[in-house]
Amino acid sequence: MSVLLKLTNVAVYVGDTCLLEPISLELKQGEPLTILGQTGSGKSLLAQAIMGLLSDDLSMAGDVEVFGKVMSIDERRALWGKEMVMLPQEPWHSLDPLMKGVDQVKEVYQFVREKSAQESLSIAEDDLRRVGLEDSGHKRPDELSGGMAQRLAITAATAGGAHVILADEPTKGLDVSRRDGIVQLLQARSNLGSLLTITHDVAVARQLGGLLLVMKEGCLVEQGEAVQVLDYPKDDYTRELIAAEPSAWSDMAPTSRQDGAESILVADKLTLERGGRILFDGLSFTIKQGEVVGIVGDSGCGKSSLGDALLNLLPISAGSILRSNKTAKPHQWLKLYQDPPSAFSSSVSLGQLLEDLILLHGIDKARIEPLMDRLSLPHGILERNCLAVSGGELQRFAILRALLLDPVFLFADEPTSRLDPITAKEVTALLVELACEAGCAVLLVSHDAALVQKTCHQVISI
Amino acid sequence: MKMTHSQWLGLSVLLGLLAFSLFGILFSPYSLSEQNLDAILQAPSASHWLGTDHFGRSMLTRMAHAVGLSFALSLLCMLTSSLVGTAFGVWAVWGGKKVDNILGIVVNILLALPGLVVVLLFAAIAPGSFLVLYLAISLVQWVEYFRVVRAVTQGVIQSPARQSSQMMGFGRWYQFKRHIWPAISPSVFTLAAFGGANAILTMASLGFVYVGIQPPLAELGLMTVELFPYYSDAPWLLAQPLIVIALMVFSFHLLAGKRA
Amino acid sequence: MKAMLFKRALQLITVVWGVGTLTFILMRSLPGDMSYRIAASRYGQDNVDSHAAALVREELKLDQGALMAYWHWLSDLLQFNLGDSLVSGLPVVDALKHMLGHSLLLAVAGLMLSVLIAVPLGLLSAWRGNPLDSVLMGLSSVIRAMPVFVLGVLFILLFALHWNWFPVAGFGTPAHLVLPAITLALSLAAVSNRVVRDSAKRTFQAAFYQFSRVKGLSAWQTFRQHGVRNIAVPVVAFFGIQLVSMIEGIVMIESLFSWPGIGHGLAHAIFARDIPVIQGAALVMGILFVLLNTLVDIICLWIDPRGAKTL
Repeated sequence: MSVLLKLTNVAVYVGDTCLLEPISLELKQGEPLTILGQTGSGKSLLAQAIMGLLSDDLSMAGDVEVFGKVMSIDERRALWGKEMVMLPQEPWHSLDPLMKGVDQVKEVYQFVREKSAQESLSIAEDDLRRVGLEDSGHKRPDELSGGMAQRLAITAATAGGAHVILADEPTKGLDVSRRDGIVQLLQARSNLGSLLTITHDVAVARQLGGLLLVMKEGCLVEQGEAVQVLDYPKDDYTRELIAAEPSAWSDMAPTSRQDGAESILVADKLTLERGGRILFDGLSFTIKQGEVVGIVGDSGCGKSSLGDALLNLLPISAGSILRSNKTAKPHQWLKLYQDPPSAFSSSVSLGQLLEDLILLHGIDKARIEPLMDRLSLPHGILERNCLAVSGGELQRFAILRALLLDPVFLFADEPTSRLDPITAKEVTALLVELACEAGCAVLLVSHDAALVQKTCHQVISI
Repeated sequence: MKMTHSQWLGLSVLLGLLAFSLFGILFSPYSLSEQNLDAILQAPSASHWLGTDHFGRSMLTRMAHAVGLSFALSLLCMLTSSLVGTAFGVWAVWGGKKVDNILGIVVNILLALPGLVVVLLFAAIAPGSFLVLYLAISLVQWVEYFRVVRAVTQGVIQSPARQSSQMMGFGRWYQFKRHIWPAISPSVFTLAAFGGANAILTMASLGFVYVGIQPPLAELGLMTVELFPYYSDAPWLLAQPLIVIALMVFSFHLLAGKRA
Repeated sequence: MKAMLFKRALQLITVVWGVGTLTFILMRSLPGDMSYRIAASRYGQDNVDSHAAALVREELKLDQGALMAYWHWLSDLLQFNLGDSLVSGLPVVDALKHMLGHSLLLAVAGLMLSVLIAVPLGLLSAWRGNPLDSVLMGLSSVIRAMPVFVLGVLFILLFALHWNWFPVAGFGTPAHLVLPAITLALSLAAVSNRVVRDSAKRTFQAAFYQFSRVKGLSAWQTFRQHGVRNIAVPVVAFFGIQLVSMIEGIVMIESLFSWPGIGHGLAHAIFARDIPVIQGAALVMGILFVLLNTLVDIICLWIDPRGAKTL
């Protein structure tokens, strides 16, 4: 097996601060290499350093050897497209928003492979057919779904015939079903050369196989055959990462729930439309006091809309929603948002926001302290505003704020999808545990069926 | 709100000009229209710090009045149009579809004519009237605030943060204070600074084509035309209104900050 | 698209109505006997007597009731019956045709020149970065701070009076066009070069721009395939906004250089209280403004079809 890409002590600095500790690795033909680690662990910098795409304020040390020859940044740039390519992390942003999909593939054949315009177009159309986009070639990127855009981007990137393919979080933001398709496509595209993938997703690493490197905060903690590392992890951090996968969670749904609990909400034959499209119809279910109810389904199927409809934030087209708990006030029906920072005003500190709430509803201040401890929220957090706090802390603060209002129903809209897996697990567990203690029903929406399975008493599939 | 160095610079120059205007109006021994035909087109001297114009009137007194007039107009217009524009902008989003549609039509009508033409037409009805000038410029300027505030507010209204506050039981004033105002205030501030500059520009433009403030009052645009014939005999006189107009506009632009 | 055209059509109607109403109020609000004033401006102060005034009153239907007169006024306007100038007595329509030609010449020359200045400089700023960027941006801030007429006065002082390169004012030869066109062009370009630069900078830094290079396209191919059109979107949209400054600039520049266009005509008519000409000039400007805005909207939609849903 020939070595396509060899890194020797590659490190990335901003000024004197090291963002990526020196790392050495070899990418061999036919043997995919995967780097696994959480966001912010410096993985993306590595891919950019290899390509020669680091921004001007960053500097790189070490050698990058391509096809057995140490190359400067300019030499590596000359290889772009034909020999070496990097797949984009966010396909929507990486595709020209004003150009038809097929033209974005065609131009590679035309300008990189130097074929005639007509021939390029027909090859591009063939390519799109192979990835199931034959009907979407004339669409602009904003008319494509995330999975389609990623397939288009992969097709465009690999049209130049590159042997070394770097993929930086290629499955970010995709549903599980779409994710597997992308992984297969990547494998197919790289069988002539080799593939270096960077991901935070243990399942993706498992599917890709080959060699695996686990990174934590810019340092390499463990490496070896993917199967070996994932099944018999040696390092604590690797273990933690694997355990944070929802499929590896232990059952969280509290069993202490009484069967005789009152129902607080009855939905009967619900139909919901958005933009003239029927999302679902004839949906009936009952939610009981203190129950954790999960909703699963692919993105765009109306999971979040259902939750919003139950909270009267969206109108329903047909059917009825009956709130059978008459004593609860409107502010006891609440929502947790997907993107924690967007749910807070950044104009004042979190403490001030809490103060506002206490003043409005006359809440006993003594309740805050123990709750903060339960949620392991540091006290200093109250002096900062929402942009200066990590996503995990902020989501826990959102739970705190909701619990202070003694909610009877909490709609949690993908509350952990923007958090890294380890934090996501902690936050989910806390949410379920505390809500149940408070006798509050939770409607948990997630694109991850495994997560819902492990946490909910009742699952609604759309 | 944190201000950059250039914003401070803009503010200081404006305050300096304002101080010049106030001191000039209060302490100058000469009145606005006091002529002295024996001492025309004089260079700056101890008795006339900025020289005298073609009627022998004190340039310092006239400049002070002209600058004061410009400031008065720009501040009045700024205040009126920002208040009206912001209030209507928020109302358009919060007041429901009907209010939004009606306000949309009104704005559409106002946008059908270039601002200067509207002001010119109003000026034609009552030549030389400060009040009409002020009303016309404010009428033109509030639209810009309205459009920006409405667009930003629309985003805020739909934001999880505002929605969440509403669900927790907070009222409209709170939602405005915590969510809408922090989002729109930078834009309103920038627009106000540009609006101030534009008001000054518009008044000077009208004065320049002789349909604005009428003689013998002092106004920067009017003074430019009056002093233009003496550009070779007394260039320092023509330079004064030109430099001051540019300085005021430039300072307002600096104050507005980086954008636009 | 339909909503946009409807909006513009509504604007067209309101322009006609608004200008008509304002000029009507203007006519009624003039102090003193209207007919005397008109007669005086027509036949000279010495030749005015009550007979001449009565003739004028009869001719212009000045003695009707207010509502009736308003109705007559608007219906005349709708038939594009703009009447005769109170000063020269010539049909307003003829004067407008003459003035429109001159204004369009100035506008087109100024606009083309401003594009020729702003686009290359803006791209250069974005591409080369500092220190060139700072110098160009600083320079345009200074020019932007000067009202159009100050800029024009400076040009006249320097190029016409001091160096005698170009005529001070008037029209007739191509040399007469140079200073007004440059003044207009510079005042427009000082703003639009920043828009070009910002848009180009944003595009050069966009993920899709980098991705095109990574796909293997050269810098020039990437610029041609992905740069031009994406940069153009906000620039063309901004042109719609700049139409206001252009028309305002034309009013000022024409007055300053005695360029016999609509703006000059309007300012003069307001000064002379020549109401039919005021009305005609304002009307033509308003209609032109709405039509040009519509054109910009259509071009924007053509370059960026994404906007089709929101417009």
